[in-house]
Parts: sequence; structure tokens; C-alpha cells
Amino acid sequence: MRRLPALPLVAVLLCLLAGCGVGIPSDPDQSLERIRSTGQLRVGVSPHPPFTDFPDGLDAPPTGTEVDLVTGFAEQQGARPVWTPGGEEHLVELMKDQQLDIIIGGLTSQTPYSTDVGVTRSYLTREEPTSDGGTGKRSYVMAVTMGENALLTELEHYLDEVQP
Amino acid sequence: MSRHDLGHPALPEERRRDVRRAVRLEVVSLGYLLTCVAVVAATMGNSQAMKAAWIEDLLSLIPPTAFLVAVRVARKPPDPEHPYGHHRSVATGHLVAAVALLTMGLYLLYDNVTKLVTAEHPSIGTVQLLGVTFWQGWLMVAAMVYTGVGPVILGRLKLPLAERLHDKVLHADADMNKADWMTAGGAVLGVIGIGLGLWWADAVAALAISVSVLRDGWRNVRHAVDALVDARAHTVDDTEPHPLNEAARQRLAELDWVREVGIRVRDQGHVFHLEAFVVPHQEQVGVAQLEGAAHLLEELDWKIHDVVVTVVSELPEGKVFVTRGDNRS
Repeated sequence: MRRLPALPLVAVLLCLLAGCGVGIPSDPDQSLERIRSTGQLRVGVSPHPPFTDFPDGLDAPPTGTEVDLVTGFAEQQGARPVWTPGGEEHLVELMKDQQLDIIIGGLTSQTPYSTDVGVTRSYLTREEPTSDGGTGKRSYVMAVTMGENALLTELEHYLDEVQP
Repeated sequence: MSRHDLGHPALPEERRRDVRRAVRLEVVSLGYLLTCVAVVAATMGNSQAMKAAWIEDLLSLIPPTAFLVAVRVARKPPDPEHPYGHHRSVATGHLVAAVALLTMGLYLLYDNVTKLVTAEHPSIGTVQLLGVTFWQGWLMVAAMVYTGVGPVILGRLKLPLAERLHDKVLHADADMNKADWMTAGGAVLGVIGIGLGLWWADAVAALAISVSVLRDGWRNVRHAVDALVDARAHTVDDTEPHPLNEAARQRLAELDWVREVGIRVRDQGHVFHLEAFVVPHQEQVGVAQLEGAAHLLEELDWKIHDVVVTVVSELPEGKVFVTRGDNRS
């Protein structure tokens, strides 16, 4: 029972630390720092028009709304995107091996991969026709390496700015 | 039948007040826990750590519920079908609460060992609240501080009541409250650790706490089962034999017509059931003497509720045990 008063104290101390430049949240594997220092944002792209598309073949740069968003995010971080095309499962495997920073491809908050990758808050929610003929809400998200919370937070802030 | 007499018509007025307070406390506990369940559900997002905290909050609902049910059942008077009354409801409630505590410990252990083994890096992003975007970890810390403060206060209020009422359900619930605030505190440290990039902080903090919760759970289950197989009465925290064992024996041994006495006391829940085997000096013992002896014991403490005094020519072997510290008169 005597230990509890220490907890708020620790919290306050950590808040102060955060103010002094030790970032909260930060990345266990320093993804955001690496993106800024190498100037490369490694993006996995699964084709899913209109979010992502490869109109000129897999070797040409992709197009689509999410491709534009990620390109903008990379520029904001002083980096440029390096695209890796592929199916979702393949991309998720690459991400778990630390080969990718972000995956795009019209993923929604219902993605079955949410235990393998971190997902952003939805940047777009809209009514869409469903397979049973009705309409339902879909919330679009992007995937970020699991646990890289500085990168996740930075991306969410960016998405908030461009998609209010 | 009074609502707060624990099925004990001669329960002292102060103890009745304690029962009323305990019932009030547990109702408050339940209400508070329900708000915690709602708050944590609203803030957990897809965090596994918070999901664990939520399941614990659900489990914490069990002991207060067990207490309220046990007190309700215990106050029913004896009837031809239940000649001993309904005091055993407390032992049953104790077992239920103890199993809830043990389950919580096992769940915490399993959950966090898995997290460490699979090296799961928890993702915690941002949240938008009232137009402000901030790291969701801070919201979780706030939720955990809220769910942690209550149990500290409630647990401390419950312990002295549990002792005075000899109520082991209430005592187990206080243990549950301890587990609650410790896990909340652990979750705060864990979430802040995650914020600092220490992905394992959450799991390690919770793992340390799970050991303590498991120990409490296991101890409570063992003692609840012990009480149900009529172990001799122990103190409410089950650390030692209840002093009334020896006090009652002593009281009878002081009577001048008594040569030797052996007793056995079982904990019915709140109250004790006491059987005394008395070897008299003379062959002849009067009814008044026996009834007087029983009355003496009942006056010793309100907990000594159901007394049988019988006369024997020698102490029955295998029924009463003279333990160290018992001095024969």
C-alpha cells in the first residue's frame, strides 16, 4: 500500500522528461529516426484502386489517393518513399521482418492483420455498398510496424492535418 | 429477522453497524467497478494491456457480488431443513471469490508470458478528444489512475470490517482490491515504458504483479477449501488458529467440576460451531452445570454461536487434539 504515492510522482517526472526532449512515445527500433536520417520511407503497396494502383506496371511508381498521402508524409519527414509492390500477406511478412515501415492498399480498421501490424486511426470513414446489397461504414487505415509508436503517432498527426 | 444480523439474533449492535457498512461499501464497490469497466472499455482501443485490465475489472465484480449474496443467505434463520442455519454461505462465497482471484492471477501470468515469448511490441497511437490530438498512452494512464485509486481506498476500508465481522469473503475482496490497484499501477508504468520505447515494460510489470496475485489467490482457495472440510477455526486472514479455540478451552477448564476438557471449533462463516467434551471430577453432573458451561462459552464472544457441551468419561481420541500450548488443568 505504501508504494502507490510513488506512481503519480513517476508519471509527473516522466511528463517533465517528455518536455525535456525525451520523446514519448518513441520507437523501440528507432524507425522514425532512421527514416529521417536515411531519407528513405519504405512503403509496401498492395493494389486496391482508387487508393493504390499500378497503371504502368509493377516496375513503375504507383498512383492513388493513399500513394499521394504517403508521398506527402515522406516529404514532410524529409524523405522519399521506396515502393514495394505485393499482396497483403506478403507485405505483412516483410513488415514483421522489419523490411517495411508502412503498408497501404485500402486497408480498413477491420483488417485481419491487426495483431501483426500496428494500424492508424482511420483517416477516412464513409458509407459504401456491401456484398449483401446494403450499405455499411468502412473506415480506412494504414499499417505501421507493430510497436513503432513514434512513427505511428507522427503519421496519424500528418493524416489529421491533411484529412480533417 | 433483522436484515443485518448475519443469522445471529444476539449479534451485538456495533457488529450490526459493521454489517451495514460492509454492505454499503460493497454496493459502492460494485458501482465504482462498473464505471471502471466502462472507462477502460472506452479508452482501450486495440491495446492488449488495456484489454487485460478490462478483464480484471470484470473479474473484480465477482467478490463483492459473492459477499452480498453470502450476507443475504446467511441471515436466513435455521429451519428443519437447515438446523445449523445458513452461515456456510460465507465459506461458499469465499471459495467463489478465491477462485476469481486465482483466475485473475493465472490470466495475468499467461497473458504476459505470451507477450514476452512472442516479443509482441504493443502499438499505441494517438487519439482525438475534443478536437485535440494526443498520444493515447496518456489517456490510458489517466484511466488506470482512475481505476487504481478506488481499490486503495475501498480495500483499506474493508480490511478492519472483515476482521471485526470475521468475514473471509470481505477479506478476499480486499485482497482483490490490492490486486486491482497493483495491476493499475503496473499498467501505468507499463504504458509509460511503452512510450519510452521499452516494449517489454508492460509485460514485465504485469508479470511481477501476477506472481503476487497468484499467491493471494492460491492461499485463499486453499483456506476456503480448508474451511469447507471443517478445519479448526482460524483468524480471518488464516495466518494462525483463532485465539477463541484456546480461550474457550481455558474457560471450561477453570470450572471446578471439570477435570479435563477437549474442544473442537469449526468456522461456520462469521460464527463458530463449538463442541466441548468434558471429563468431570465426579460421576454426577447436573443439567444446570452443563447449560451453565454452554452459556459461559456463548458469553465469551458473539462468534461462539452454536455450542454443544457433552460429558465423557475420557477425552475421545481422534476427535479432540491437545496441541502445543494447551496446558491441561
